[in-house]
Amino acid sequence: MTDPKPARTDAEFGRTLADFSVPSEPGNERLAMETVAESAKGLGFSGENLERLKTAVAEATMNAMEHGNHYRPELPVELQVLVTDQDLLVRITDRGSGPPPKEDAEAPDLLAKLEGVQTPRGWGLFLIKSMVDEMNITGDEGHHMVELVVHLEAEGSK
Amino acid sequence: MDVRHLNVEVRLEEGIAVLDLVGEINGFAEEALNAAYAEAEAKDPETILLNFEGVDYINSTGIALIVGLLAKARASRRTLLACNLSEHYVEIFNITRLSDFMSVFPDEQTAVVEASGF
Repeated sequence: MTDPKPARTDAEFGRTLADFSVPSEPGNERLAMETVAESAKGLGFSGENLERLKTAVAEATMNAMEHGNHYRPELPVELQVLVTDQDLLVRITDRGSGPPPKEDAEAPDLLAKLEGVQTPRGWGLFLIKSMVDEMNITGDEGHHMVELVVHLEAEGSK
Repeated sequence: MDVRHLNVEVRLEEGIAVLDLVGEINGFAEEALNAAYAEAEAKDPETILLNFEGVDYINSTGIALIVGLLAKARASRRTLLACNLSEHYVEIFNITRLSDFMSVFPDEQTAVVEASGF
């Protein structure tokens, strides 16, 4: 599997705020979400900006547990929270194989869903992209990684 | 972290069926949500109001469940409304365009007044 948009190396990061994993069991996205939120609060995230980050983390963790790890509890989803002078980054890694999900997937069509032309599901990537400044998806032979990026300057000015 | 499973109570208010939702709207909520919606439909109201006052978490699977309710409402020519969503979930209803198909009110009283004409 190739990676057209390689993730940045750790040498570029100033600080790791959190590094943890959760078993791939339904509902654990909330544990991931709350743990990341605690880290982000120390950077001044609050209110609606914090809620947006929480939703992005929860959805990315759900995707990792479901599509990457197929809800096998023995397969962890790993999360890293990193901060640079410019950005907050959350990296969410699963044990998926095969092509990683496409970042540029089309926006869901609600009318098509209401008319039964599309499945009612399929909101996860759309929500993630709507909640953060950047979303990068990479993969190798045994992992998929979603990187969520929030620009701290934008965060402070919102 | 324990999941707060969804509980739903159904009541009639000025001819509107109100679903009081308490808990999380996620994959675990499907049975409770659909059963409550069926109970509301059995009362044959023109309007069904989803009261989100007791809801603190909705994920993408929950959004899909709400899309399913909206599809049912449209098929039976009922009006589906929402109230008491947090600011964050109002934003999510806007970006998913759910709010184009179901009006969102800040509280139950406003929704009932608007829908019933009282």
